[in-house]
Amino acid sequence: MYWLPRDQVRALVNRLAESYAVYGPRRDEVSGEVVFDRLEELERLDLQAAIPYNPPKHALLPQYEEILKYLYSKQSQKVTIEKISKVEPKALVGLRACDLNGILCLDRFFLGQEFVDEIYLEHRKKLFIISNTCVRPFPQCFCVCTDSGPAAGEGFDLDLTCAGQGYLVLVGSKKGQRLVEELGLREAGSEAQNLREKIVAESVSSFDNFALENKAWVSRATNRLTTGFIKPEVWEYIGNQCFECGACSFVCPTCSCFNVEDVNRVDGPTDRVRTWDSCSFEGYTKMAGDHNPRKPVEDRRNKRFFCKLSYSQSKKYLRPGCVGCGRCARVCPGDIGLPNVVTYIRREITGE
Amino acid sequence: MDNQLVPIVTVPEVATVVDIREEIADVRTFYFTFDRPEIERAFRIRSGQFIMCTVFGAGEFAVSLPFSPENDRKHISVRKVGKVTAALHELQPGDKIGIRGPFGNGFPFEEIKGKNVIYVAGGIGLIPLRSSIVHVLQHRPDFGRMILVYGARSSRDLMYKDSIREWQATRDFETHFTIDRPEPGWTGQVGFVNQLVAGLNLPAENTVAFVCGPPVMFNAVIKELKLKGIKEQDIYSTLERHMKCGIGKCQHCAIGRTLVCVDGPVYTYRQIKTLGEQI
Repeated sequence: MYWLPRDQVRALVNRLAESYAVYGPRRDEVSGEVVFDRLEELERLDLQAAIPYNPPKHALLPQYEEILKYLYSKQSQKVTIEKISKVEPKALVGLRACDLNGILCLDRFFLGQEFVDEIYLEHRKKLFIISNTCVRPFPQCFCVCTDSGPAAGEGFDLDLTCAGQGYLVLVGSKKGQRLVEELGLREAGSEAQNLREKIVAESVSSFDNFALENKAWVSRATNRLTTGFIKPEVWEYIGNQCFECGACSFVCPTCSCFNVEDVNRVDGPTDRVRTWDSCSFEGYTKMAGDHNPRKPVEDRRNKRFFCKLSYSQSKKYLRPGCVGCGRCARVCPGDIGLPNVVTYIRREITGE
Repeated sequence: MDNQLVPIVTVPEVATVVDIREEIADVRTFYFTFDRPEIERAFRIRSGQFIMCTVFGAGEFAVSLPFSPENDRKHISVRKVGKVTAALHELQPGDKIGIRGPFGNGFPFEEIKGKNVIYVAGGIGLIPLRSSIVHVLQHRPDFGRMILVYGARSSRDLMYKDSIREWQATRDFETHFTIDRPEPGWTGQVGFVNQLVAGLNLPAENTVAFVCGPPVMFNAVIKELKLKGIKEQDIYSTLERHMKCGIGKCQHCAIGRTLVCVDGPVYTYRQIKTLGEQI
């Protein structure tokens, strides 16, 4: 483990900025929200800021991404198809453990199934990741219930844990090791490992009651969701609460459903774009000719929570699909974020 | 051979529409060849698979493949039903389309050798079954009885009449037809496909059934087939879903814990029952 004094964070970021576009948490001046986005001004990086409003998935799966460009001339019967690859290397600095686990879920889903998603891979292989331990949980957090925080375990190049006037630095890759050496960071000493463990343990013990109480119930909910033993009334209630706005999907670190459309440009060619989509939208499963196998909203809600917690989906992610960031609960106007859904399932089991 | 199937995943391969055939109202068959000779040579499918077809300037849609993996002209048969298929119907011979795929699991072939094969189709549900029918016919001695039970709204809505005539001309191919309402000159049955199935003397032992048609027809037919004694794991169907990628990533085609594009589109009825969703 290494030691990064606070006043050297800037040097680290500057170094990264030489080869990467730097992404990190910063406070938005207008809304006051912490956002995770590309830092045009590096000094805006705020490692002490609360968990960002949005997850970092747009760095890998942009909300709107051109994947192909083609031009078809009917006159000459000529088609030119061009694969768009303007993917730049990115450094994600100050990722919370939940968000890093979100990326690991996406990795296993996009790269580890029957097919490799070439477009995702382009983004992924050019990533440098620095995670940041949550030395205290934020009010919305329940990563202790989903085994994804408050500290990162794997997947980072470097991992930071704030300890007094600086950061304990864990190295997770050769790339990370090189950077540490280039910056000339000193070893953190023999007590560093214990210190980090102590900081993480303190963080775990200060989670809100709601998170700690939910801990066992998340796995019970997983059981129920996997076996299908949840009464239709529960889904109907959840369906009735849903506004079908899709906000939960858009702020979820592991939601990755996308739509693909061909957009004709005025100057001639057509762009094939992929955009974020959400299973809460009615048009999500609607086929040409209007047949919609999943028309009722509760059928669609049920699918989302199946994706987040069922064992079948966990097999694709090699962990639960929910990383406990609490963003869905924060944005949902219908009050059916994941922790509440777990509560409804709990009430059904206990008859509260 | 199957292991060497390398699907076209990201960038569509350009193909030329070489011939267009009017099948029934709003359904046309488009014969195509790939522009690059090496793709034309290497493109292999399993019956029951599907492709993603690009109509340049309009978009991409998933479509089942009606041709046999062996010695059959490459084509798709498409009903004009939405924006992209309407644009496809505008095409003339010589125009270009884009192809990705083939994707999906496909109908069993080796596993059903030696068995009786029943095909039950409703309307354009015959399109995805055609591939398997032709393939099995090409290996006729390896199979038991072959029976096609086919129903449509009217005699004008029966697909692939020429192909059916050819199949009937081969040895040992039983056919039974029905249309919804009586018509002058119609000598087949009148009624729904499930009623036709109910009245037939079908084998049940050592028999598999392939069913494809609209959801209402599907459920009614399954009921009759089960009454005949055909096991749920021996009834196959091919499902249709809204699809965007074909490679298991966009997740639009999720049914239960499966994705139609990679785990399907061919499912046994036993699997369909456990998915817990409408088909």
